[in-house]
Amino acid sequence: MRNTWAVCKREFASYFSTPVGYAAAGIFAALAGLGFAVYFIDYATMSQSPRLYGFTTAPDFEETMLSPYLVFCGQMIMFLSPLLTMRLIAEERHRGTIELLLTYPLRDREVIFGKYLASLGMVAVLLLFVAVQVALVGYYTRVEPAVLLLGVLTVFLMGAAFSSLGLFVSSITRNQVTSGTLAFGLCLLLYFTGIMGEYLPKTNPTPTAWPDMARAVAGILYGLFRGFVTELDLDAHAKQMAQGIVRPSDLVYYPLFSIFFLFLTFRALESRNWRSGS
Amino acid sequence: MIEVQGVSKYYGTIPALRDVTFQVGQGEVIGFLGPNGAGKSTTMRILTGFTPASRGTARVAGFEVHQSPLEVKRRVGYLPERVPLYDEMVVGAFLRYVAEIKGIARAARTTEVGRAMERCGLLGMEKRTLRNLSKGYRQRVGLAQALLGSPPVLILDEPTVGLDPRQIIEIRKMIAELGQDHTVLLSTHILPEVAMVCQRVLILNEGRIVAENRMDQFQGGDAEARARELESAFMAAITRDRALEEGAA
Repeated sequence: MRNTWAVCKREFASYFSTPVGYAAAGIFAALAGLGFAVYFIDYATMSQSPRLYGFTTAPDFEETMLSPYLVFCGQMIMFLSPLLTMRLIAEERHRGTIELLLTYPLRDREVIFGKYLASLGMVAVLLLFVAVQVALVGYYTRVEPAVLLLGVLTVFLMGAAFSSLGLFVSSITRNQVTSGTLAFGLCLLLYFTGIMGEYLPKTNPTPTAWPDMARAVAGILYGLFRGFVTELDLDAHAKQMAQGIVRPSDLVYYPLFSIFFLFLTFRALESRNWRSGS
Repeated sequence: MIEVQGVSKYYGTIPALRDVTFQVGQGEVIGFLGPNGAGKSTTMRILTGFTPASRGTARVAGFEVHQSPLEVKRRVGYLPERVPLYDEMVVGAFLRYVAEIKGIARAARTTEVGRAMERCGLLGMEKRTLRNLSKGYRQRVGLAQALLGSPPVLILDEPTVGLDPRQIIEIRKMIAELGQDHTVLLSTHILPEVAMVCQRVLILNEGRIVAENRMDQFQGGDAEARARELESAFMAAITRDRALEEGAA
């Protein structure tokens, strides 16, 4: 535990002794600020003439402003997370410090969790900017605490999921740039998979001319595929949760996603013990 | 203290070490000699648990490196060849981080770091960024991190490379001192160095131990004369090995 903490502290501090931490925080602050303004102006326009936008009364603040904004923040973290995770392990390899790290009395799990915690710490730092904006809103109007808490939790869990993906990619690369590009590409892929999923037909798409048996089998396979594609989408889960609607599948999705990639990271780090190369 | 038994290491199909066996007793200072690519660094990496051996067993203080890596790593201080450091950190912060990871209690950490810095001539350098250090000072920091926690075994991969003559003399003196209460395994290209600090020398060539000499078997009156004798022993061992190899082929 103490070792995990030591690794985490060093890693977290190096976000701020290099430009990475400032760059990520600065860009996120700018994006989140712009997003906040845009969603806020939208909300203001809608509440001035709700009928024009199909509302009978003033639109619900949490539903039309707060949760879309929080999901937006989650998406921004998705784009920035490769910046935070790309060097975690790749840089140790590149600089050769991994030779020290792996010859210190550390367990693999202490190395991995330490680094993962540091990246979560950075996500938390980014969320501080969101907190400032939400606090401003809270000063002028009452915000449903459940929606707010769940919303922020969702953004954090999204960040945690992207960090685990980035950590894994970093553990299989030697070069930061490769690591960052790969992690960014995978995040984008997941994002677009989600958008694609909305276009997949909801019913069995096999031709009726096929024999019943073949249609049934193909239908089941298609159903699994469609389910997989739509559930894989990272922000689909966020949208519900950010509105304060708790579905167990959403709540479990991000931790499962993280555990999966942390597990892969373990295997990647462990592979040094059986791979024949260096 | 160190027992290596029939260790081989292959990178893909290329053999880096072939059936290496040797032992190092407690408090001994052993020199690894050999041309580039002889397998000195590979042996050290296996002993520190950084890379696994393809075959054979390596034990440090009775613990098998692959089976109880933590026990071994707690007892070994390691200076890697290229001295990789976290460039953005300052000397003091880096050494405190290493001390923490090596399990030195918080209360003792400052004294321990101070002791290692003093021993390596780093006093007053605490606030310097590692990136800006000269090769010599990087080497000292590398040595200091290996010394933290006073591990009974020190494995130093070319500890004097890139240092100026004065620093080389200082480091050699230090290694000789360390040899009094540590088991030291060091590698080098520099023959006189071995003659000065080591009690025993292992000569590696193309992944095999081709000769083993005790320094006191050389009768030369001073270090320089012993170094010359060692030099001829070294050349003889390498040439003999080449001849054998060609004969076999």
